Amino acid sequence: MIIEALQSILTPSALTAVFVGTVAGVLVGAIPGLTATMAVALLIPVTFALEPLTGLVLMGGVYCGAMYGGSIPAILLHTPGTPAAAATALEGYPLTKKGHGGLALKVSVVSSYIGGTFSTIVLLCVAPILARFALRFGPPEYFLLAILGLVGIVSLADEGELVKALMSGFLGLAIAVVGTDPISGGLRYTMGITDLFDGVAFMPVLIGMFSVAQMIELTGVKSIITDRTTFSKIKREKMPKGLGKFIGLGSVLGTIVGILPGEGATIAAFISYNVARQNSKNRKLFGKGNPEGIAAAESGNNGCVGGSLVPTLTLGIPGNSVAAALMGGLIIHGLIPGPELFTKHGVITYGFIFSLFLANLIFLALGLYLAPYFAHISLTPTSLLIPVVCLFSVLGSYAINNSLFDVFVALAAGLSAVILHKAGYSCSALVLGLILGPIAECGFAQGLIIGHGSYSIFFTRAPSLALWAVIALLLVPPFVQIYKHHRRKE
Amino acid sequence: MRRIIFIVMIVLIALPLQVQAKYPSRAITIIVPSAAGGSTDATARIFIKAAKNYWPEADFVVKNVSGSGGQKGFEEIARAKADGYTIGMVFTTQVVAHIVSKRAKYTLDSFHVMGNVGQDPEIVVVPKNSSITSLDELVKAAKEKTLTATVNGIGSDDFVAMRKFEEIAGVTFNMMPTKGSTEQKAAILGGHVDVSFMNLSQMHGQHKAGDARIIAILDETRSDLVMDVKTGIEQGYKVLMTAARGFVAPAKIDKDVADKLDDLLQKVLKDPGFIADCKKDSLFLLPMTGTQFLGYLKELQIDTQRYYNKNPW
Repeated sequence: MIIEALQSILTPSALTAVFVGTVAGVLVGAIPGLTATMAVALLIPVTFALEPLTGLVLMGGVYCGAMYGGSIPAILLHTPGTPAAAATALEGYPLTKKGHGGLALKVSVVSSYIGGTFSTIVLLCVAPILARFALRFGPPEYFLLAILGLVGIVSLADEGELVKALMSGFLGLAIAVVGTDPISGGLRYTMGITDLFDGVAFMPVLIGMFSVAQMIELTGVKSIITDRTTFSKIKREKMPKGLGKFIGLGSVLGTIVGILPGEGATIAAFISYNVARQNSKNRKLFGKGNPEGIAAAESGNNGCVGGSLVPTLTLGIPGNSVAAALMGGLIIHGLIPGPELFTKHGVITYGFIFSLFLANLIFLALGLYLAPYFAHISLTPTSLLIPVVCLFSVLGSYAINNSLFDVFVALAAGLSAVILHKAGYSCSALVLGLILGPIAECGFAQGLIIGHGSYSIFFTRAPSLALWAVIALLLVPPFVQIYKHHRRKE
Repeated sequence: MRRIIFIVMIVLIALPLQVQAKYPSRAITIIVPSAAGGSTDATARIFIKAAKNYWPEADFVVKNVSGSGGQKGFEEIARAKADGYTIGMVFTTQVVAHIVSKRAKYTLDSFHVMGNVGQDPEIVVVPKNSSITSLDELVKAAKEKTLTATVNGIGSDDFVAMRKFEEIAGVTFNMMPTKGSTEQKAAILGGHVDVSFMNLSQMHGQHKAGDARIIAILDETRSDLVMDVKTGIEQGYKVLMTAARGFVAPAKIDKDVADKLDDLLQKVLKDPGFIADCKKDSLFLLPMTGTQFLGYLKELQIDTQRYYNKNPW
């Protein structure tokens, strides 16, 4: 069956589909607002007309490509193409400003490749076992996982800015309160506006806070960098040493978070980034352009790709929104997720998994070869850059839900971000709060319901205890540092 | 000169009239109140494929307006220009639940109901290692200790079905609402809850694979997908619930145009290609005419209102 599966993807039509899908995915990922979820969903009607395998590998290619593509504008322009690349922007953009954008791109593509490939190997070899493991995660664990992500706010904060970072985080959580109460069904702070019933969507906020705000910031300069001298060296610039550890860390964490149903690449990237930051010898360099951060974040979000397909294919529980759209594509062809997918429809399923390896290879080649050319984007005069990015920002925020309201959300977020940034408040912390707030709230409330009102449910289950331990481990170093900082002051 | 201008103006005014006379002369937008890739979306796309056989020159465009439990989409259909170039889909129970909870800016009178196409019957599922195998055992267990039940959101078909069952069986569940069926699946497969009220399409694969157990289907007949599962009525609990998906148009639509659209829908519903496509995509057909579907919606609204009055959300 494995050989048959290999043969089935080595046909011209399948290979073309993988290639086209991956390239299109990179483009979709690179454009702020156009997400992998949207692209995969748009492809479903197209796949009606195609052979099941061709359609699937097309969608798989888009998924892999988009996850990597998001990092390109994040590094070069500080405008993450996908929410999962927001952590990459924190390290990539400072590198670009120092003239090492090409290097950052290379680190990003190599890490993405390794993360993606690792998770696909996991998907290929141990999917069913891991899926069972993921099922042990229930609402209490999702609450703790969200807390784990929120802990990142503490370590994202620069020294002495902790209070402001926490305030931004709480602001994000407060905005996340708007919308329908997940448990009672009641409306909170929606002011009768139907668009707010689902809460404030985080994508438009992200686009506003990163892309729009960044364009406003850039109005004062001619171009992001003016010094071309480093560009000739990009091809020969060596990869920094010691990244292996962080890529490995990101790959494993990304795959694990990916496997958990409903948890996305954004959380994977932020958690990997945060853990890397806590374990790095060059911790001081974080936030100022440390390739280690890019390595962890990018291997983390691409690790999610294979991971998210584990529960999707074995149990029919999509690992995240992209996997959910992909599952729609499977069902349309009569491929119902479950054991049959690996036996009766094994040729298609294994063919699809093999195509993911191929998609990773394609974007690796593409990324490495094109990095020097991509790097030139940061030389673009702002008079050209600003209108183009703003156009895509508006387009992207509209396209997510076909909603004009979201465009205004993006613009308002952009303006607020400029003010917050000037006052020293962290926009990443705010976005993190906004993304994780609803997950934490739902997990907390559902956990309490499952526990029949008793808080002990958060402390008695084995996975919960493990998560508490990780949270404690991540919180100790920053607080030790704060303590030392204060001692020195005295 | 004046005469020429007069004639030109007459022609200009008459031209669009002539164009209008031939319906449809441009693309018809179908508003789908959920995201692309879901089963409502798939229904619309399969419908279009079949509709082309009867209206070869007509074009259809799907517009996904998702969010707020379909409310954004329902409202957009209700306030669309009633020229026959915008129609849309509705799904239950959400379409009436929004009216009941006084959130909707529409009522059932805002629509010309064209008819129903598909459904997704409600099922009762327990984890695979649960000792419960029938509704009787479920009721017995629920009377011994409080069982946790998941439903997909407040006011959903799952929610109403659970309330109906509680009423008939005289039990009360510890209700855990989720955001989406993914959470429900994970909760059942992981054994985090005791029982789940959800839809057949979301669980039949897992039931066959032995990852979960469907103990009842709340439909009038068994489903050929899972023939071993007894209906609620067979087990002595007369609870009927399904997620129906049908087509509507804005209320003020022209009688002629409305008739044409209704006729198209009924033709598509009998189309063998359409029926085959639905089967392949695990979409369950439940053909209803406009009058039947409207009656169904009205009845459902009364039911939902009753649960809302007892315990508003």
